[in-house]
Amino acid sequence: MSELLKVSNVTKRFGGLVAVDNVSFSIREGETVGFIGPNGAGKSTVVNLLSGYLKVDAGEIEMDGTRITKMKPYERTRLGLSRTYQIPRPFPELTALMSVITSVLCGKRRINQSFEDAAVEATQYLEFVGLFSKRNILARDLTFYELRMLELARALATTPRLLLIDEVMAGLNPAEAKRAVDMVVRAKEQFGPTIFWIEHVMAIIVDAAERIIAINYGQMIADGTPDEVINNEAVIEAYLGKGWREYA
Amino acid sequence: MVDIEIKRDRIVIRYKGKKWDWMIEPRYWRNAIVWTCVLFVFPLVAYFVSPGLINTMVTANIYAAIAIPLSLMTVGTGRINFGPNFYVGVGGYTAALLSIYCGWGPLTTLPFAVILSVFAAVIFSPLVIVARGLYYVLLTLLLPLVFLEVTFIYTGIFKGDVGLFGVDLLVQFENVKLNFIMAAYISAGIMLLYLLIVNKVLKSRYGLIMATVNDDEEVAHGIGVNINKVKILSFVCAAGMIGVMGWFLAHYFGTFAGITYLPLTFMLKILLVFMVGGRAQVFGCVAGGYFIAFLEMILIRTMGQFQPVAFPIILLILLFVLPSGEGLFGIYRKRHYREYLPTIHVRR
Repeated sequence: MSELLKVSNVTKRFGGLVAVDNVSFSIREGETVGFIGPNGAGKSTVVNLLSGYLKVDAGEIEMDGTRITKMKPYERTRLGLSRTYQIPRPFPELTALMSVITSVLCGKRRINQSFEDAAVEATQYLEFVGLFSKRNILARDLTFYELRMLELARALATTPRLLLIDEVMAGLNPAEAKRAVDMVVRAKEQFGPTIFWIEHVMAIIVDAAERIIAINYGQMIADGTPDEVINNEAVIEAYLGKGWREYA
Repeated sequence: MVDIEIKRDRIVIRYKGKKWDWMIEPRYWRNAIVWTCVLFVFPLVAYFVSPGLINTMVTANIYAAIAIPLSLMTVGTGRINFGPNFYVGVGGYTAALLSIYCGWGPLTTLPFAVILSVFAAVIFSPLVIVARGLYYVLLTLLLPLVFLEVTFIYTGIFKGDVGLFGVDLLVQFENVKLNFIMAAYISAGIMLLYLLIVNKVLKSRYGLIMATVNDDEEVAHGIGVNINKVKILSFVCAAGMIGVMGWFLAHYFGTFAGITYLPLTFMLKILLVFMVGGRAQVFGCVAGGYFIAFLEMILIRTMGQFQPVAFPIILLILLFVLPSGEGLFGIYRKRHYREYLPTIHVRR
């Protein structure tokens, strides 16, 4: 498997706070990589840096050999990098179908594609996430779970090579969360993107990911298979605190 | 090369790997044809019934033709421009100055009015990227007022206090009423052309992309929309279209005075057309334009000196009563979704 994303010594500061400190990792094509860490560890900051919403203060990001460090978000999307948001951000005044059509039109360039062609393609993504019957409903009228699915459809419609998923389970009840996780797994099987998956719930990410990267206080503390990472002393300490053995 | 294919219900146009469909089904165009006929019959009827109505119609067309590009600008930039009359001023002064000092006719001054308006818009286009919210409102509000001051400071050129006289008229027949009818048709033609263009743009892929910028710029950026390009293009194109109305005003009246079009009163009328008709609804702009122009005329005829008080009171009441943000057009469409584009039904 070739290297799809390479992050080298990336640092991000917000005033005096170092949110991401000299982080380096790489993702190979076709992998599902979990990205974990306690609250405030810097996970979402890393996703924002990768997708171009925040500018890196130091370091380099490369995608498939192309330096994307200074690229704008829309350029990264056209290169094949797409994301979902921790709190769904739909286009409230657009219907579900129109939201996905925009992604089809603006994502990867398709030759000879009219607006109507894009609509037909968008329905496939809506059908995949189970929102076909809600295609003409305004996004603001959808439930939280449906918004999550709409986000996934919107991200998939840009035909990403690398899909950044930011806490797909946040705000969902257990049954919905299970369906959401199954959907991500099915999306990978059907559309084949490489997945970089931020998640809070350890049990889910351990099952779904082939490799896990853990960070704490903006620094990388572990990178390895799920078994290696969940047994890593630094990761346990990050989640349970330094004196966890005394209370175990 | 452009490849055109005519099908039963649509014309398919292909150019450089892109494809556009243009619906030609008669039922798709029925309402448009009916209302266009009404617009073109109205001046003829007014000619025999009450010629003064033709002038009101021209005013309504002007209001609508400024509000329509303003709608495009609002959707495309995601911000409401409070100084659309600045571009009326730029277009109007360009046409008037060229006509007076160079002796040029309306057709010769038109391209220069457009170019100058577009040029001014390009200069001020960074505003749509750097400013938002109250800052954008204040900056755009200031532009026409600063321009008005400039016309007073350089009164030798702009004749700020009295305005420029002696601009070539748009049409010059011996019968004055015929001149008015021709002006009504020209203004209606411009308004309908704007309606056609802007409606087509808003219903196309570009309109949808603009709608995403209007809804959430950051997310639009994230799904591959070059938001700066969209915002600047819609700002500049709309400004050029508004500039044409300045050109029309200068050549319609044969005079152009910044004091008439640059102060807040004219700008407020345009914004009221925009709000009463329906915010960022192109068809609502026409309804709003006609409503405001005819309401103003009726109040002047019936209330005389109380008109300046009654006019804003009625409009304020309307703004409260009409469906929020949807205006008169919203009443017409209140049973439908507020989507920017017609619903596409896909059969399974």
